[in-house]
Amino acid sequence: MSDDLKGRVQELIDTMINPAVAGHGGFVELIDVQDNRVYLQMGGGCQGCGAADITLKSGIERLIKEEIPEVAEVLDTTDHSSGTNPYYQAGKA
Amino acid sequence: MQRLLLLLPTTTYRTHDFLDAARTLGVEVVCASDEPSTFEAHAPDNLLTLDFADPDAAAAKVAALADRRPLSAVVGVDDLTAVAAAAIAERLGLRASGRAAVAAARDKYQMRQCLAAAGVPIPRFRRIALKDDPFLAARGVAFPCVLKPLALSASRGVIRANNVDQFIAAFRRIVALLARDDVEASGDAAQFLLAEEYLPGIEVALEGLLIGGTFHALALFDKPDPLEGPFFEETIYVTPSRLPAATQAAIERVSADACAALGLGEGPVHAELRVNNDGPWVLEVAARSIGGLCSRTLRFGTGMTLEEIILRHALGWPIASLARERRPAGVMMIPIPRAGRLAAVRGTEAAGAVAGVEEVAITAHVGQDVVPLPEGWQYLGFIFARAETPAAVEAALRDAHARLSFEIA
Repeated sequence: MSDDLKGRVQELIDTMINPAVAGHGGFVELIDVQDNRVYLQMGGGCQGCGAADITLKSGIERLIKEEIPEVAEVLDTTDHSSGTNPYYQAGKA
Repeated sequence: MQRLLLLLPTTTYRTHDFLDAARTLGVEVVCASDEPSTFEAHAPDNLLTLDFADPDAAAAKVAALADRRPLSAVVGVDDLTAVAAAAIAERLGLRASGRAAVAAARDKYQMRQCLAAAGVPIPRFRRIALKDDPFLAARGVAFPCVLKPLALSASRGVIRANNVDQFIAAFRRIVALLARDDVEASGDAAQFLLAEEYLPGIEVALEGLLIGGTFHALALFDKPDPLEGPFFEETIYVTPSRLPAATQAAIERVSADACAALGLGEGPVHAELRVNNDGPWVLEVAARSIGGLCSRTLRFGTGMTLEEIILRHALGWPIASLARERRPAGVMMIPIPRAGRLAAVRGTEAAGAVAGVEEVAITAHVGQDVVPLPEGWQYLGFIFARAETPAAVEAALRDAHARLSFEIA
């Protein structure tokens, strides 16, 4: 069941998510699926990006939940402080 | 489920904490940013691009969305989005301060005019056109003075001048700053600067929430590092304040008066004041919450974050308590010591091991070009601490900072 879920999430990442974030030089890797929770890691332009949370919650999580309703939550395991080429850099406004 | 619109610039530090708060509250979030999301085509009802510098266009675009999928609240998370958020709220009839009041608070000259007219104590000020001759302009001000752009934040472009030569140098530096590609200034903000009297004294920041026109003080921060110029780099904030109770009450009173003078009535406010023997003087009142990651110092009631309070207020939900936790807390915004490319960060673990330090968040990345004040607008990171006394919080922050080293090539 979990392997099947992982496979479906991976397919979404390959066919829809990574092609989208590639536009900003980013990519997403599936780390694991546990108890219907999907653990992801972001890289490239997404790692450390000021908009990474928007991408994850309003983009990736929404898409995964729409396509795979049994997914309860998508969680980010990325060390954003180690990002060396974020697409957007935050500042104090 | 209620839908909440968050205005989140791609460059804000505030996204994570506001999205966390929205998730805690269980509301559906619509994210609007100044640049398109890579997923906008997949989720057009939840991701949109707005020109925050054009509040009318932003309000029209959001109104079209709200016709299809109604919105319950709108929150702008920083200075860049405050006026657009107010314009959207006004158009949709949502809870927020009026657009004119928020716009006045966003323009340092308009703000000072409003405050002066209402008798709120502020430094003497004068607006000067950038096309004016700086030597002639300097003849009309008293020294020492402070020059600042009309609409930038985080002390960016704020420079003290003690004489005519320094005035001219500061004037030219601000003109050059406003011409930079990474500065968004339009209208008066692109054509004028402000010169105001330098006031000696200590500086504090007051975080507040306006509910139905009534000002509620949430936290008063001391800034223990002297801010005497030539630049005004913010570093340590510690709350609760160590000032006498009567002084704190006076700070809250003039801040409330300032909000009333501007016509602000709903939502978060962040005020900066100088305090000296003549009492508190208002330097700024912004219709937004505290910037950077600094809100992480604050917890209310049984653990509510500042962002949760702001969202609850915008949604019209009850707020159990506006009382800050009793434990003293503080943050250090890690300043950029010099311009260059960040090559390495060392000592993060040692800094995090200091008693009382809760988090060391390095937000600059290796390889990033870093720019100090007055041209810069970012920090290397933030250190957070909690301890038994404000003095212990301050000591922990200084100790942790001393253990960090930044290699800038």
